Amino acid sequence: MGATKKIKIGQGVLLTLLIVLAAYALFPVFMALLNSFKTKPEMFTNIMALPKKFNLENYIRSFQKMKYLTSFLNNVIIVGVGMSGIVVFSAMGGWAMCRTKTRLSGLLFGLFVFSMLIPFNSIMIPLYRIAGILHLTNSTVGMGIIYIGLGVGMAIFMYHGFAKSSIPLEIEEAAHIDGCSMFSTFFLIVLPLLGPITATICIMNVLWMWNDFLLPIIMLQSPKNYTLLLSTNMLFGQYSSDWPAILSALVLAVIPVIVLYAFLQKNILQGIVDGAVKG
Amino acid sequence: MKGGLNYGRNRKMFLFVLPALICFLAIKLIPAIMGIFYSMTNWNGLNPSYKFIGFENFKTLFTDDPDFWNSMGFTLKYVLFAIVLMNFTALLLAVLIENLHHGKGIFRTIFYMPNMISMIIGGFMWQFIFTQVLYQFSQNAGFGFLDQPWTSDSNFAFAAILIVAVWGGAGYLMVIYIAAIQGVPQTLNEAAVIDGATPFKRFLYVTLPMIRQAFTICFFITLNNAFQVFDVVYSLTGGGPGRETQVVSINIYEEAFARNNRFGYATAKSTILFLIILIITFIQLRVMKQKEEEA
Repeated sequence: MGATKKIKIGQGVLLTLLIVLAAYALFPVFMALLNSFKTKPEMFTNIMALPKKFNLENYIRSFQKMKYLTSFLNNVIIVGVGMSGIVVFSAMGGWAMCRTKTRLSGLLFGLFVFSMLIPFNSIMIPLYRIAGILHLTNSTVGMGIIYIGLGVGMAIFMYHGFAKSSIPLEIEEAAHIDGCSMFSTFFLIVLPLLGPITATICIMNVLWMWNDFLLPIIMLQSPKNYTLLLSTNMLFGQYSSDWPAILSALVLAVIPVIVLYAFLQKNILQGIVDGAVKG
Repeated sequence: MKGGLNYGRNRKMFLFVLPALICFLAIKLIPAIMGIFYSMTNWNGLNPSYKFIGFENFKTLFTDDPDFWNSMGFTLKYVLFAIVLMNFTALLLAVLIENLHHGKGIFRTIFYMPNMISMIIGGFMWQFIFTQVLYQFSQNAGFGFLDQPWTSDSNFAFAAILIVAVWGGAGYLMVIYIAAIQGVPQTLNEAAVIDGATPFKRFLYVTLPMIRQAFTICFFITLNNAFQVFDVVYSLTGGGPGRETQVVSINIYEEAFARNNRFGYATAKSTILFLIILIITFIQLRVMKQKEEEA
């Protein structure tokens, strides 16, 4: 009896602590949502109160001003180009280097792994120059291509490790005997088998590219190519201190990732763990 | 014969690696090498011609750029606090959640959520909290102590940056710690219970030693990220008041893209940052290797 009571008290304490901490985690998002429906005077009267009515004016204005659909589409193009390139190119390269044990493959693999040490900050200025020469600046597709170059090192490392440990050589040998070329072996047999690690790589890279700020702000100059973050950042400057309007823009910018999180939560959390441990 | 076979294999392998290699060379390796060259030029973004000036930039950097070294000092301070606070919070969250009987999932979901949000957006939201919400709290609800110059005094701005950084970063580490705690064999805990260990002692002598590896991973993740921190400072304080909360990456960014367009000089700064991170990484690899050999 005493023991169960003790456990109950312990659980109560735990729960209280966690609820307090959860309030810290949710507070800014909650406050942003709450005040984004208000008018300015309404906010100044009582910042904690529920809005009198769900006034969508702020949202409509921000939606138009940040060219929401265009910005969203720009994000999708960037992530789409970057992601497909990273997955296909890294899977091809990582697998091929894993299966070919020559000095050249070791050297190339070493180069990719070493490149993981180079921080983005230290190459951003020369990269800006080269991207200009290659006509990759101020273009969403160009941004996607830049992300491929930045992302392949890590992805190759992960594909290489996965191919080594988890893809049975016998299957590939059987395919070879049945007359598959290296090319069709890869696309018909190996690529589907790389599925689990591809999921991890996708999650890590999509989150990175979607939320990246420094690279796009350097590379994208015209507002028609802006990502959601850049449009929000621009709007933040324009609205100066019209907080309800700013907050509506922030909420709009957050919606896509929250929706993604709601649907793929389990996969995302698993992907984070796998990515951290393997990378 | 063998050489010929190898040649064929190498060629095929090379074809498979080629697409990745081209992107990687153009975007990462060549810029890295060019960076070393540019750091020895007086190249600026406006003037297309530039000349080689040797170590002049580095000389200026070491003798005549207090702003850079202040930002380096501030970054170091931030790194130190961020590592301790983030890991402490993350571990606390992980332990609390793992000891909960019901509702683990919902709390894990809540605490990871800020990590999904860009720190640019998070920083703006918190700016609203610090400048508007806390101000009203102090005026209307009697929490006078909340009315502080959160973004206009350097100490409070530093605290604000840490509050937001922990908010955004702890959930990520928490997920790693939770996975590690779940990996601790149940039999060890049961044995400790039979030996009469209190929950606190079990945490100290069973859980903590068993999750050493996660600890190392999280330590280096925070170290690397904190050294390159940009978003949260950019959106929360913009490096201000003045340049009091300016971190290295903002200093470099401003030098190159926002204020001066001194590309060559900014590249010299980023070379220094690269060397620091390189040293950290080598230490990390050595520590990791040692840990593996011990285990």
